[in-house]
Amino acid sequence: MRFQDAAKDARAVVYAGIQADPLVARVAGLLAGATAAERLMARAAMNGERTGPEVWRRMFPTLFGEGPGEGPGERPGGADRRLHAEALLAASLEVAERGEAARSSYRGAVVEELTALLLARRTGQAPVKRERRVLFDGVRAEIHPYDVTVESEARPEVYDCKWGARGINADVLNQLDDARAHAADEEIAMHVAIVVFDARRSCELRLDRATAEHAGTDLIALESLDELAGRR
Amino acid sequence: MPLSRPDRYAKGVNDRQVVLDRAADAYRALLDLAETVEDEWQYINDLGEAYLPGIVALGISSGAAGELGDAQVAAVDEAIAEIALIADPHKAIDWLSTFPHVVALAVSGDVSATGDGRGEATESGPGRDPDDDSPFGMLRGPR
Repeated sequence: MRFQDAAKDARAVVYAGIQADPLVARVAGLLAGATAAERLMARAAMNGERTGPEVWRRMFPTLFGEGPGEGPGERPGGADRRLHAEALLAASLEVAERGEAARSSYRGAVVEELTALLLARRTGQAPVKRERRVLFDGVRAEIHPYDVTVESEARPEVYDCKWGARGINADVLNQLDDARAHAADEEIAMHVAIVVFDARRSCELRLDRATAEHAGTDLIALESLDELAGRR
Repeated sequence: MPLSRPDRYAKGVNDRQVVLDRAADAYRALLDLAETVEDEWQYINDLGEAYLPGIVALGISSGAAGELGDAQVAAVDEAIAEIALIADPHKAIDWLSTFPHVVALAVSGDVSATGDGRGEATESGPGRDPDDDSPFGMLRGPR
């Protein structure tokens, strides 16, 4: 088994431009240090119709309410968290302002970048790479690359990343399970997972109806993203 | 009238059920819009069956602990106003998953565990699922 860069078609070239936009890295970096509630806010804002920050501050009073970090019983670092939430909101609204056509690509790129960032915190020397194919002896290569890979010889990992639970479909599940099964044929324990920036329950509803094999595929949902970095 | 004027929100702190009934009605309207995407009919119905009872249940609470403050009422109404603006049924599907959690967070509290490991959940302790304090947990259902 070996990893290989994906061939760049026209779509990939355009998408690479979005992936390289500093806004993607900024949003992903803020999300990597975010609470579950902040991540929910970012998802809502990036999906939103309105791009004025006051709307979103009112919608999330636990993040933007008066005096976080100052009242009795407030968590340590509350004032810092407020600043973090503000920065994340501003960045999320920049994504929303890219317009309907572009922002879905930006959102997808953000989830991929976030996944890579969190994985890199855990994997140490094993390289975390993007847009890679996995080649197996005697097996026809998949056309579509995997979004994020951890190219460890001892235990390689492949991830597909989705903005919403609706992105979970038979093609994605089959491709992940095929990689796991082919690796197993070569006596390699490959970890395969789908990362979805959406509520776990929504993802589970989607998976419950899926007929494609996915028993060996992990689900990393919005609430459990920190598992990518080795935290539970 | 601008959508974001604060005086359009419901007043008082004893109107939890009224506020959550409004949220449930808004969610039903979103379900109706999303259902026009025929290929996703099953998923949309699954979302409705999973989340709508949870939104209604959030409205059932008694005593002072169940009272909503002005900021909480405003948060729910702002979320309702947001989904009322959606005209694209595909976008509606995305919000069918998001709206219940926004409402749950608004009326039930906060998550304190940070992404970088700092802080801890407000009621965490031995034997508790880390997600127990999550706003998502309230609507997640049995696992």
